[in-house]
Amino acid sequence: MSELDRLRHAMRVTERPGGAIDLAAVMRDGRRLRTRRRVAGAGVATLAAGLAGVVVAVVVGALPNDPGTVERPPPVAVAPAPPTDGPATPPDPSATMPPTTAARTEPPPSPLGEVIDSGVRHGADQRVYYLVRVSVPGEPRVSIGLAAGRRAPNGTLTTDILVNDVEGSDRSPGFHQIGYDEGGSAAPVPAFGYFVGPAHRITGTVDGRQVAARLARWSADKQVVIFWFDPADLAPGDRLDGITARDGSNRRL
Amino acid sequence: MGRGDAEFVEFARAASARLVHAAFLMTGDHHQAEDAAQTALVRTYASWSRIRDDDAYGYARRILVNHLVDGWRRPIREYPTEEVPEQRRGDVADEVATRRWLTAILGALSPRERAIIVLRYYFDLPEAQVARELAISVGTVKSTSSRALEKLRSTGPRTADNQEACR
Repeated sequence: MSELDRLRHAMRVTERPGGAIDLAAVMRDGRRLRTRRRVAGAGVATLAAGLAGVVVAVVVGALPNDPGTVERPPPVAVAPAPPTDGPATPPDPSATMPPTTAARTEPPPSPLGEVIDSGVRHGADQRVYYLVRVSVPGEPRVSIGLAAGRRAPNGTLTTDILVNDVEGSDRSPGFHQIGYDEGGSAAPVPAFGYFVGPAHRITGTVDGRQVAARLARWSADKQVVIFWFDPADLAPGDRLDGITARDGSNRRL
Repeated sequence: MGRGDAEFVEFARAASARLVHAAFLMTGDHHQAEDAAQTALVRTYASWSRIRDDDAYGYARRILVNHLVDGWRRPIREYPTEEVPEQRRGDVADEVATRRWLTAILGALSPRERAIIVLRYYFDLPEAQVARELAISVGTVKSTSSRALEKLRSTGPRTADNQEACR
C-alpha cells in the first residue's frame, strides 16, 4: 500500500459514528438565522414592490460627537413600522414563517451610483459594496441602504447583507450602521458600514486592538463614506467595541 | 415536523459524522471540529428550502471549509478536555495506531496543506473544485498538494516505524 493509499485508508477508518451534533440546537439556530436573512431580504424586496414591512438596522452611535462606543446587543433589530425608539425585540424563532423562497424570487439588486470593489475575493467573485434604494414606512428621509454583495465575473450581483436606518435621516452626519457577518452568507462578509461627513480615516477597536478600515466615497454623494474592514484584520463576524472617524487634520469627527 | 425538516434531519444524520471527521482532520481538535460541523449544519438548515434539491452535502462542506479557513485567521481557542482520543478505544489496537499515525502525519502539515489533503483525498474532489472551495488557484492546489505529499512521504515511514516500536 502506497503512502497515499494508506493516508486515504486512515482518513476513512478513523471516522467515528455521528452523535456529537445537537440536531435540536442546529434547527433552532438555523431558524433564527433564516429569520434574520428573510428580514434582510425584505429590505431588498421593498426596492421593487415598495411594500410596507420590516427593515433591518444595525445601529451604531450616529452622532458626530458621539464617543463612538458600539453596543453589543444583537445587531439585527426587527421593528414593525413605525419603529420605536428603543431596540426592537428580536423575532421569535419559533414563529411560523412562510416558505423560504426569497433567494430565487428576489430581483437582482439595482445599485445607486458606482459599485465599490473591496479588493477582497471569494474565488472568482469580488466582494463589493453598493447603495440601493429602500423604503421605510413613515420614514421619508430613509431612502438608501448599504449592501454587501458579490460580483461574479459576468457582472451578476448577489446581495449577502443589506443594512439601513429605520428612523431619522440616512444622510445625518456620523456613523449610521455596521453590517456584520451573521453566518447566513455562502462567503464570509467583512464588517462594513457608512459614515456621513469628511472622514479621511476610520478606526475600529476590538479587544483593545485598533483596526483601520478601508474607505471609499460614494459616487452619488461624496459625503457618504463607505468603509469595510479587511478580513485579515477583523475576522468576519467579529464585532467592534468602538469606532471613530477622523478628518484630514486628524480631528475626531 | 414538516417535510422539509424531516428531510433535513435525515440529511444531517447521514452527513454529520463525515463533516465532523473532515473538520477534525483539518484541525486536529475534536471540539473545534464539532463546533465547525454544527455551524455548517446550522447554515445549511437556514438555506434548506433553497438547497435541498441541489447538492446539500456540497453546500454544507463548503460552509464548513469556509468557516475553518476563516478560523485560521483567528486566535486559537483551546478547549480543556478529559478525553484522550488515542486511549478512547484502547481495545482496538489497529485503529489506535492508525489514528496516531494519521494525527502525527497531518500535524506535520500547515492548515492550508491539511485542507487541501482533506478535500482531495478524503472528499475525493478534483483539483479545480478544491481550488474553487479554498479560493486559490489550481496551480497552488497542485504545488501545495505535492509539497504536502512529499512531507507525508518523509514523515510517514519514520512515524510508522515508531508506531511499530511502541507496540
